[in-house]
Amino acid sequence: MREHIRQRRYHVELGPPRQDSEKLLENLEQFAQKYRRVLDSGYVAGITDNSMGLLAFQGHETIIELGLPVVPGQVMIHLNTFHTKENLHEILDTCIALGIRQLLVISGDGSDRLPRLQPHELGVTEVEAVTAVELIAYIHQTWPGVFEIGAAFNPYEPREHEMEKLRRKLDAGATFIITQPILKQNEVVDEVLARYPELPVFVEAWMSRRISLLSEAVGYEIKDDPNFDPIETLKQLHRAYPDCGVYLSLLGFKTQYHLLGDTWPEPDGRTGEEA
Amino acid sequence: MKIVVCVKQVPASSDAKIDPETKRIVREGMKAVLNPFDAYAVEEGVRLRKKFGGEVIALSMGPEKALASLREAVSLGVDRAVLLSDRAFGGSDTWATSYALARAIEKIGGVDLVICGKQAVDGDTAQVGPGIAAHLGWAQATYVMKVEQAGEEGLRLRRMNEDGYDVCELQYPAVLTVLKDINQPGVPTLKGVLAALREQIPVWTPADIGADARKLGLDGSPTRVVSTAPPPPRHTVTRRITGSPADCARELVADLRTRGIL
Amino acid sequence: MIVTSREEKDRYRNVWALAEVLSGQVQPVTHELLGAARALADAGGQEVWAVLLGAGTASQAVGLFAWGADKVLLVDDPRLDGFQDELEAGALTRLIHKHRPDILLGAATARGRALMPRVAVMAVCGLTADCTGLSIDPQTGDLLQTRPAFGGNIMATIRSAGHRPQLATVRPRVMKALEEDRARTGQIIRENLEESDSPVVKRVVEVFQDKESVVNLGHAQIIVSGGRGVKSAKGFDLLRALADKVGGAVGASRAAIDAGWISYAHQIGQTGQTVQSKVYIACGISGQIQHLVGMQSSDTIIAIDKDPDTPMMQLADIAIVGDLFEVIPEIIREIDKV
Repeated sequence: MREHIRQRRYHVELGPPRQDSEKLLENLEQFAQKYRRVLDSGYVAGITDNSMGLLAFQGHETIIELGLPVVPGQVMIHLNTFHTKENLHEILDTCIALGIRQLLVISGDGSDRLPRLQPHELGVTEVEAVTAVELIAYIHQTWPGVFEIGAAFNPYEPREHEMEKLRRKLDAGATFIITQPILKQNEVVDEVLARYPELPVFVEAWMSRRISLLSEAVGYEIKDDPNFDPIETLKQLHRAYPDCGVYLSLLGFKTQYHLLGDTWPEPDGRTGEEA
Repeated sequence: MKIVVCVKQVPASSDAKIDPETKRIVREGMKAVLNPFDAYAVEEGVRLRKKFGGEVIALSMGPEKALASLREAVSLGVDRAVLLSDRAFGGSDTWATSYALARAIEKIGGVDLVICGKQAVDGDTAQVGPGIAAHLGWAQATYVMKVEQAGEEGLRLRRMNEDGYDVCELQYPAVLTVLKDINQPGVPTLKGVLAALREQIPVWTPADIGADARKLGLDGSPTRVVSTAPPPPRHTVTRRITGSPADCARELVADLRTRGIL
Repeated sequence: MIVTSREEKDRYRNVWALAEVLSGQVQPVTHELLGAARALADAGGQEVWAVLLGAGTASQAVGLFAWGADKVLLVDDPRLDGFQDELEAGALTRLIHKHRPDILLGAATARGRALMPRVAVMAVCGLTADCTGLSIDPQTGDLLQTRPAFGGNIMATIRSAGHRPQLATVRPRVMKALEEDRARTGQIIRENLEESDSPVVKRVVEVFQDKESVVNLGHAQIIVSGGRGVKSAKGFDLLRALADKVGGAVGASRAAIDAGWISYAHQIGQTGQTVQSKVYIACGISGQIQHLVGMQSSDTIIAIDKDPDTPMMQLADIAIVGDLFEVIPEIIREIDKV
């Protein structure tokens, strides 16, 4: 995963069409176009798993049904705990067959319609419910050496609690992390970098102008600011975290994508044309 | 085994917004979805077919847009679907609805089992399942939480009640209404959904099912809604309590004592 | 049956209350039905009949007069052991044809929801479920039935102008029972079960009383309910402690059940139970619609949350801004003080 940082490959969040989409074929086409563009740019497609508990199609089945190409190292599948065991194995076996080796494992959000992995299914007895930790451990043990598994890190949760969770995720087999969206230098992220200098860290950059939507993630109210410039903020994030990768959420493919060439400086600080 | 699963398309619940004056939920953006309980009915039908072979047919009564929910049932594994749709069905209460569905089930013919979700989350009456059983003169079991055994002649199942449950045996043909506990519904696959998009779903009218027009729609409905009104508002002001946990507790307990609750 | 004139309507007389029998025992909701029936009957100078169907339940018939019944229509037959909905529906329909009641009230319970719709179809009459209000329209003599629709956002008033009898179900604790009056007496009308009452019969093989798997939140006066904010199964121990202290029950939102912190039996909401308790204490529940529709009719809603602006905090009568893990122990301490 360090490669992604060295080679300045952005992680671009892509959501497969929702199950309740009324324009499914159109949405599938749009997904395919975005996906191809991301891969062609040398970036990494980070494909979400029923984001926010809203039923959507899965990354692996969308790639197969649309006949999309997989470039090794440039496709990352998100995986949460809301699957049956059978489905979990199907997803991961398919990933192997497709050549997808990078995973982001999160607890995720459920809904009425989503099944939940049960502890006994993963051979675990000490916990009441399966979280990212148990799932990471299961994947690591069941497919040893096959996947690079990432975990989420939330700098807005109580610090000690979150650092402890991080420790357990790393012990379970996670080898990189992606943070919640940050808008500027963040103390807790700094602490992670200090404690785990070898750990590849990807900070999430919020590319939507509507920063009020971040309020739920950060746990306090953020008001919309007409002066908020996601591209500027992204550049500042790169300056603050030169050794980290970046995960772009809510990227505007029409309005922002073409600006990305100028945002990630080379190690010597040059960007874009100069680099 | 020939199984019919009755499904209904209902308005979706959206994000809760409370009207500050009436304290009532303001519903926005009424999308239509498959009634949550019906997904369990579909899954149970599909599981029984997997075990015994045969056919599972999804049946719904509603406007044309209900075809989307029938396609969802197809993408979840039912073999085919039928929509009852016609002006004449409009305005039906549960009596007329269960009558129409019963005639459709007879038209499908040779049905062993009808499975319904426990209730629809918009009407909430839970009346259509037993209503269908009554129109057909079939056995029924409601609030089914588990099918313990299924055989050539009938089923052994658990019915939930307020005290626990009972285990009963009944023979085909029968109508079941099922609870959320009964299984874990599958999630549609993209492959299944794309196939369902291509599925031809017939739309039947009263003439197709040989229905007596006097038993359909508003005219066929013994009950009629004569008026609707917003519910009485709860109150006008939320009492907010802040401060240290001990202070909050003190204020709350005092308040509850004043109200006669403690 | 279809009625086409006022004369035909008027041939249907008396208000029936179907006794709710569970595990061979007449349930308290029966008294509430009789209370509601009494009010309706008195409005028109009619009688209240309790209808008691069961096996070995005859001895409980005489107790029903004290709760307002003028007559008890009794069918006591061993074939009615266990809940035989087809048989009961057939018998009830036959008795309806014979005695022509104006109104039949039933409980909106598992049994009532199985039986009443079947009877309504067989007797060709209207049924309104979960009524919160019942009254007689003086002009037409019809029963006006009020019930919530769309998750409680609309109160609908329903009427059967052209059919009799008029069937309605009512949830436990919605209607009021009369004061028990042991001095009241009445007449027991004994009827038989007939073979022809149903061509299809179930075999009830076993009956399980399982208080663990069924949490009857409908009867609880006080409910302490937890959501995402409870954070763990252990967190629910605190809610249980508060519930025990006030003699209440524990409920939960779907989020807590999905997370595996408590069993589905405790779920309150659209696909769980609907409650109308006196007091509902929502702890760390943000208030998604699917949950609100299950509890918004509670008398007093108290919410405890760190976030002051969630839908639940806006809905609540009392909104406590705080950490439930700190506030609840203080509440318990405070209650202990007096």
